[in-house]
Amino acid sequence: MLSLLFLSACPQSEVSQVESVKPIRFALAQMPLNLDPRYATDAASERVNRLLYQSLVDFDTHAKPVSSLATWQMLNPLHYQFILKQPLAEFQSRQTLNAEDVKATYDSLLSLKDAPQAAEFTNIASIKVMNPYVLEFRLKQPDPHFVSKLIIGILPKRLIQQQHDFAHQPVGSGAFSFVRWDKQLVLSRKRDAQPVIFTEVKDPIVRVLKLIRGEVDLLQGDLPPELVKYLQQQTEISVQTVQGTNFSYLGLNMQDPLLKQIKVRQALAYSIDRAAIIEKVMVKDTRAASSILAPEHYTNRSALLSAYEYQPELAKRLLIEAGVNLPLKLVYKTSTDAQRVRLATIMQSQMAKAGIDLEIRSLDWGTFFEEIKKGNFQLYGLTWVGIKTPEIYTKAFGSQFTPPKGFNRGHYTDTQLDALLANEDWPAATKRIHQQLPYIPLWYEGQFAAFHQNIRHYSPKPDGNWDDLATITRSATINTYAH
Amino acid sequence: MMFLLRRLTSFFTVIFGVLLLTFLLIHLVPGDPVEVMLGESASSADRESLRAELGLNQPLIQQFGSYLHKLAHADFGQSIHTKTPIVELFKSRYPATLKLALLALIIGLLVGIPLGIYSALKASRWQDILVTIISVRLSAMPAFWLGPVLMLIFAVWLGWLPVSGMESGTSIILPALTLGFGLSAILTRMTRTSLLEVLNDDYIRTARAKGLPERVVILRHAMRAALLPIITIVGLQMGSLLAGAVITETIFSWDGIGRLLVESIEKRDYPVTQACVLVVALSYVMVNLLTDIVYKLADPRVRQA
Repeated sequence: MLSLLFLSACPQSEVSQVESVKPIRFALAQMPLNLDPRYATDAASERVNRLLYQSLVDFDTHAKPVSSLATWQMLNPLHYQFILKQPLAEFQSRQTLNAEDVKATYDSLLSLKDAPQAAEFTNIASIKVMNPYVLEFRLKQPDPHFVSKLIIGILPKRLIQQQHDFAHQPVGSGAFSFVRWDKQLVLSRKRDAQPVIFTEVKDPIVRVLKLIRGEVDLLQGDLPPELVKYLQQQTEISVQTVQGTNFSYLGLNMQDPLLKQIKVRQALAYSIDRAAIIEKVMVKDTRAASSILAPEHYTNRSALLSAYEYQPELAKRLLIEAGVNLPLKLVYKTSTDAQRVRLATIMQSQMAKAGIDLEIRSLDWGTFFEEIKKGNFQLYGLTWVGIKTPEIYTKAFGSQFTPPKGFNRGHYTDTQLDALLANEDWPAATKRIHQQLPYIPLWYEGQFAAFHQNIRHYSPKPDGNWDDLATITRSATINTYAH
Repeated sequence: MMFLLRRLTSFFTVIFGVLLLTFLLIHLVPGDPVEVMLGESASSADRESLRAELGLNQPLIQQFGSYLHKLAHADFGQSIHTKTPIVELFKSRYPATLKLALLALIIGLLVGIPLGIYSALKASRWQDILVTIISVRLSAMPAFWLGPVLMLIFAVWLGWLPVSGMESGTSIILPALTLGFGLSAILTRMTRTSLLEVLNDDYIRTARAKGLPERVVILRHAMRAALLPIITIVGLQMGSLLAGAVITETIFSWDGIGRLLVESIEKRDYPVTQACVLVVALSYVMVNLLTDIVYKLADPRVRQA
């Protein structure tokens, strides 16, 4: 509380105190849009919010929910009990985080009309606080994935009641406290007051030049592979890569008379040389994909599927068997992002060898995404980011889950798959999807971070989060480029 | 007086046309701010509720009327996404664009006009060919290429200037050079051509025959006549600079009006886009008005027309 009062009363002195320690400067392609965890949907906001807030649960490396602020117990399929870990966490305002704050956060989420996250929690019937450490959730319908959804950052009840502007002045219990946000976003690490400054630099070449010049210390993701290779050649820069889990795919319109045919979809899958694309134009540690959830996900561990190989002759034969007159003309929609357009042109050239004449239409993001949601496409390219729960299969391929109810944008219907999804038989469902190809799987793009040699204890994470900012340090080595 | 009246009428007609066109276009392109804000999984009831809250469920004509009514009261509204009043956004963004535009214009004028005069005076000689090669090359260099090249030379290799951003006082130099070089190339070509046209006129020959010094002949007699097309070009270029040099502002992380416009279009932030287009249109119209006035001052024939 005292700290909060101090912050609002003397922002300048706080800022100068924080900036007296040399900050870690992090260049982003896109600044966060909203630091209220109830509203945040973009990747940058979610990543910063993980630093500012804590949630009841988090995920392990196999995407299984693990306790974060609380442990839990399912009393029956409609009744869950959560016990907050002791000692209780503290908000930036020094007030302790208790069960009332958890209830207030989820209650407020349910009452907000314009919160994108609210729809996930409409199944909650009631939340009851038993004591400052214990609270219970009652559900309207059984939901085996309920616990995995409790990843919203917990807010202080008192500030929720005051309708505090968390979007621009966040107050959480995470590893960092908020300092200021104007042109740059400044956070301060609680344990040692190490400041971290986030700066938006949209152009990838400029981000690289700023890193080399020493105007920023760190950047992660959002660079074309040739720039990553360029950074790897710079002696003063260290580049680390790790296998990623974000799934890139080609979406298909299953109402299209041609794409309805399984042989045409198989031909498409065999007409893309993933190995060549990954080797030549992708970041190191990119790997071919066969399902939305990566091989290390807990639902995949017993049933690994192999990716479709490049076989243009087989693809051509399948098209002829499907009665298609060659060349097969298809329209592929993508965004205007340079790397996406480049990948599209490579696939266009590869598919030509299989008798497929791919027309590329690149549209600005707003128009492109609207076309996809409306079903105005034959083929499109997108990436699923940060997916943890196998429910994605139901929402992406379940017959009942066409937009706006779900993400089945291709209007795929398959009663056999619906039955497997209803029974939550994930290995069998994954196999069925792999055979039927309502999506053409492409790859899981490798994650990378690039930083100066004097930066320590930072490594990229498979889902691209920035959690290692909680441990990052700067060594005493003099940075000759810093000004 | 009639001139001013005619100009003011056309001023308001253009602004109304821009408002109407922008309003219609922005509501007709695919993309819905409610979808952007709520995501795909929101229920139809929640969508409708938010649409009503934002006034997006009203008929278009009613939305336009309400927009004009607010504008008449100097109320630009607020950003749908950040809830920041648009006036506040402009207060921070427009001065940045203005500063960059003015410096780029000064660079363009200081480099372009002297080089154009020099090139015309040395017409068909090696100096003229060299200036022509340089100006053609410069005008063919897009900002997304020239900007990073200048960064590489002046920031990374020489270490004289910051790569991008607005933190230091010298941050403006590279974006201004990027814009100014492009402008100077156009002005060099235009000055050379205009000056060459008048240098063979009878009144120039007369001035020389009277024994006037060459400097006076060029600067006082020839340049005055050659100035008219240059004023037109400067007016048009200034208009586009004030509209925000989108690419240059983006590359150099310069928080100006052009960058704000692009961001608002990406997010389908209707009120911000409309306000940006209005400000851009106002800038163009104002600069055109100024250009006409300068024209009248520079050319007695226009003054009498």
